[in-house]
Amino acid sequence: MTSYLRNPLTFIWALLTAITIASWSIGKGHGSDYHISATITAIVLILAAVKAQFVVRYFMEVRFGPTWLKFVAYGWVIGLLLLLLAAYRATL
Amino acid sequence: MTNTMGTVAAGVERRTSAGYLPGRPGIWFFIIGDLLIFGVYFVCYMVYRGQNHGLFLESQQHLNQQIGVVNTIILLTSSLLVALGTEAARTENNRDAFRLFGAALAVGALFPLLKLSEWIPEISAGLTPGKNMFFMFYYVMTGLHLIHVVLGLAIIGYVVDDLRSPKPSIRFAETGAMYWHMVDVLWLVLFAVFYLMR
Repeated sequence: MTSYLRNPLTFIWALLTAITIASWSIGKGHGSDYHISATITAIVLILAAVKAQFVVRYFMEVRFGPTWLKFVAYGWVIGLLLLLLAAYRATL
Repeated sequence: MTNTMGTVAAGVERRTSAGYLPGRPGIWFFIIGDLLIFGVYFVCYMVYRGQNHGLFLESQQHLNQQIGVVNTIILLTSSLLVALGTEAARTENNRDAFRLFGAALAVGALFPLLKLSEWIPEISAGLTPGKNMFFMFYYVMTGLHLIHVVLGLAIIGYVVDDLRSPKPSIRFAETGAMYWHMVDVLWLVLFAVFYLMR
């Protein structure tokens, strides 16, 4: 089982978990300090896209996939991030 | 022995060869379709949020961020176990594949339990889908996702059962794995837009 700890996928998981905790510590809050923040929004959305990209690329193995799949899968992550950021910015 | 080694080499080889599509091709139509449908929901949510930032921000404070972050780590961990299990199945290490998929099922099963423990106090406090637009989106989108989680757990359960057979299907294990990873990806976005963004 120790070989699974040294597996590159386990390293990706550790990175994903670290990013999750980092984005949570940035986004969490309560009460009066909880206000609209374009900076926090941009950071947590970008970090979510980075995580989604890692899962798609390494866990779903799109990096080994055909070109059309890379185009669609990576395009979904990047396209969604840009659309969400644009929709948010347009209403500020 | 030579035959086994040959099969193992072929199993690894086909993944590393350029243009390899894991699982049955049909699952990818489903995955892409689901990602697009959820994508539309995410954009709609952001547009409605923009019409009333204050209401969404105030409502968001009533969510349990701790359960949100724990559920994120649960799905990431379950995804890792499935990814490792898929690698084990490819190298015909069926015992490890069975254990890893089984562990993924056990860890993944915590998600719906925690989701219910999050929803029940919220609904009891009057934070129902009819409360306002934020909670309508919250229950519809996390509810749709929860259905995907439950379906995914059932699929992983079938994969675990198949891995016990003398000749398990690697394609079936891959197909279940791809679906489960998609469920993980959708949650990563849900967590950001409902719990964390401001």
